[in-house]
Amino acid sequence: MERPSGKFRFLFFTDLVGKKVVSSDGESLGRLADLVAVSGEPYPPVESLLVRSGKTMSQVSWSSVASVNGNIQLVPGATVGPAPSAPVADRLHLGQEILDRQIVDIEGAKLVRVNDLHFLETKGQMRIAHVDVGLRGLVRRMGWQRPVDGVVSLLRPKARYLNADTFLSWKLVQPIESAPGRVRIEATKKALASLHPADLAEIMEDLDRHQREVLFQRLDVETAADALEETSTALATELLEAVPPEKAADILEEMAPDEAADALSELPGHTRDELLQAMEKPEAAEVAELLEYHPRSAGGLMTPDLVELPPTATVAEAFAEVRRRAEELPLVYEIFLVEGGLLQGMVTLKDLIVAADPSLPLSSLLREIPASVGADADVREVARAASKYNLLSVPVVDRAGSLMGMVTVDDILAEVVGGA
Amino acid sequence: MAPEKRQVRPGRWRRVALFLAVMGPGLITASVDNDAGGITTYSLAGAHFGTKLLWTMGPITVALIVVQEMSARLGVVTGKGLADLIRENFGVRTTFWVSLALVLANLANTIAEFAGVAASLQIFQVPRWVSVPLVAVGVWALVLKGSNRAVEKVFLVASLLYVAYPISLFLAKPDWGEVALAAVTPTFQTDGAYVAMLIGMVGTTIAPWMQFYQQAAVVEKRIDVDELRYTRIDVVLGCMVTNVVAFSIVMACAATLHKQGITIQTADQAALALAPLAGKYASWLFAFGLFNASLFAAAILPLSTAYFVTESAGWESGLDRKWGEAKQFYWLFTGIVAVGAGVVLIPHLPLIRIMLLSQIVNGMLLPFVLIYMLRLANDEKLMGVHRNGRWFNLVAWTTAVVMIGLTAYLVATGIRDLVTT
Repeated sequence: MERPSGKFRFLFFTDLVGKKVVSSDGESLGRLADLVAVSGEPYPPVESLLVRSGKTMSQVSWSSVASVNGNIQLVPGATVGPAPSAPVADRLHLGQEILDRQIVDIEGAKLVRVNDLHFLETKGQMRIAHVDVGLRGLVRRMGWQRPVDGVVSLLRPKARYLNADTFLSWKLVQPIESAPGRVRIEATKKALASLHPADLAEIMEDLDRHQREVLFQRLDVETAADALEETSTALATELLEAVPPEKAADILEEMAPDEAADALSELPGHTRDELLQAMEKPEAAEVAELLEYHPRSAGGLMTPDLVELPPTATVAEAFAEVRRRAEELPLVYEIFLVEGGLLQGMVTLKDLIVAADPSLPLSSLLREIPASVGADADVREVARAASKYNLLSVPVVDRAGSLMGMVTVDDILAEVVGGA
Repeated sequence: MAPEKRQVRPGRWRRVALFLAVMGPGLITASVDNDAGGITTYSLAGAHFGTKLLWTMGPITVALIVVQEMSARLGVVTGKGLADLIRENFGVRTTFWVSLALVLANLANTIAEFAGVAASLQIFQVPRWVSVPLVAVGVWALVLKGSNRAVEKVFLVASLLYVAYPISLFLAKPDWGEVALAAVTPTFQTDGAYVAMLIGMVGTTIAPWMQFYQQAAVVEKRIDVDELRYTRIDVVLGCMVTNVVAFSIVMACAATLHKQGITIQTADQAALALAPLAGKYASWLFAFGLFNASLFAAAILPLSTAYFVTESAGWESGLDRKWGEAKQFYWLFTGIVAVGAGVVLIPHLPLIRIMLLSQIVNGMLLPFVLIYMLRLANDEKLMGVHRNGRWFNLVAWTTAVVMIGLTAYLVATGIRDLVTT
């Protein structure tokens, strides 16, 4: 059969691999071992075939393929060259690098294993359309699709197994191990940045050490910082060691100071000092201060990033301050009132919203601080204070009563519930 | 700079600290090795064949160390579990057959663990139709509640009970010259019972689940390539301790039961090997040890099987997933526990025979796993400078070939001998 142009058909990797590759004069060149695709495009086209004959591997351009049926028939004058010995950027060896590997399913925000690849063949080109991650893909790989399909359709003609192909569009997956070029790295960065940091953190926990380091290195600084805040401290430590010190320092600067301190606390002394040196001065100073405290104490859990204002400031000024800093603060609820360095009281966001007049001074709304803790207080003590007085953040003060920072409820929960 | 120098060659205390940090996977895996099937097989070997099988303990220990070191090294260098590696390097078909072999072997082991539960509690007059369902439900709930780590510690402390065997052996005052001679004199018998016992001895000591389990533990502990030599100490130490215990069980049974011409039909009889130490409390001591070993292994074998199969198939797995999210994982775990316990409830089932049979299945399936491990450990792309050395390959290939040879021999002579002895 001639290759139909203008028409299209779908093929599976499993159907192709192992087929005989035959030259135009009927001579067998060997069997198809692997396909090489150009990975820069959304639906990568297959560029060449790797053909194995005995122990030698040779390469043939896909444009030299005349037809694919029982055998893979080449056009007259097709050139057969040696296979590349080293990986080439933006070229994917599908059988070796994608099949049976774990890849990131961006839509489902999880890791999946590739059971088969689904190609769309049209106009002399063959492109990767989907990856098959379903049970039917496994059955096909076993070579049992026909009998199993037969039995299932006999027993339960409406079985989900027969209709619901578990295909993921190639656009929505990210392979991890392969040599990508610039284009793909940019695409990968964007795709990974679209994941929720908690999902990204879980994916990294599930990967093996090598893969998660590769993945982490491809994240931009902001995404990396967000993801590290969600991972376990042990993993955060491991990943920080996997990137160059300058990038690690940039990531640490992006992270909430308390999380950055946690990650640093587990590193060996000289690495920690090196990273602190490489960080911008103000952030480094904040983090270094937090490092002095036990990680499960109020000092270790607190963040110095909070909204503090003098009692003379007005409601309108308070709103302006909250808006100005909204970007860098993950959680704003209490606004602390500080005079002469000493903590006087607080107002809540609710107080501000219901305040009658935006020109009112905050002192008129001032609430007594029901509970504050010292920097050496144990996390359970902090949790008790938060729970008893319904606080979303518990202020941490030194002996003189000046405000050092606050412990927010998300960090308390993480410590009390256990795990990240 | 001083810290750098320390990194190159850590001081003695630092080295001890590093060892303590990475130790665990090897010691724990080796301790679980002496499970219900193990204790039973060693007891039977000593009681029925006296000192005739003692010579195998040396070679088996060497093979065990080689195989377990290989699994630890694969885990440390690649950071992947064994099932993952097999899937990624050999594809779906190989993975399917290896998984099937593993599921069968582990199912057989789980049956043995529940047989161990039944046999040990029978000594305390608890009928098995009470003990087995209760323990099965208990194990199932315990694992799903996820307090595995605590259980692991209790188990490890309780496995110190095995010291009873070496002590009992001493008190039985065997002729040590004869023991030493038997330990180094290879003998071979051509009858099916002897060959089956030999396969069982290897199968129980180098059980296929151990490589998967230990490699997973090494990966989970995030042990680094720099720490490989400490992990090696962990592995070697675990294997040695375990096999000293195994040796003592065989020898204690040879010195007591075999001498008196007792063949083991029930757990009560196997307990007599501890009589020199514990006198009339021997059966209690034995029952307690057997129960401990069975219980822990009954919990971890189904769980780890479920992990390996689902991970290599690419299905969701893990106790942190909900039942609906990881159906295959939970059903596999539940299925293995249920079948394992269910088989033991069949009336008049000879528990001791079942435990031995399961270990023979282990031994027969071992080469499947071993051959793929060897190919992985020799893959230069995967392992780089850490790939197998010549001696490792020699020992491991010999083990695989011998096991295939013995299995073929056993099948050829027919399982008739096995059933009639």
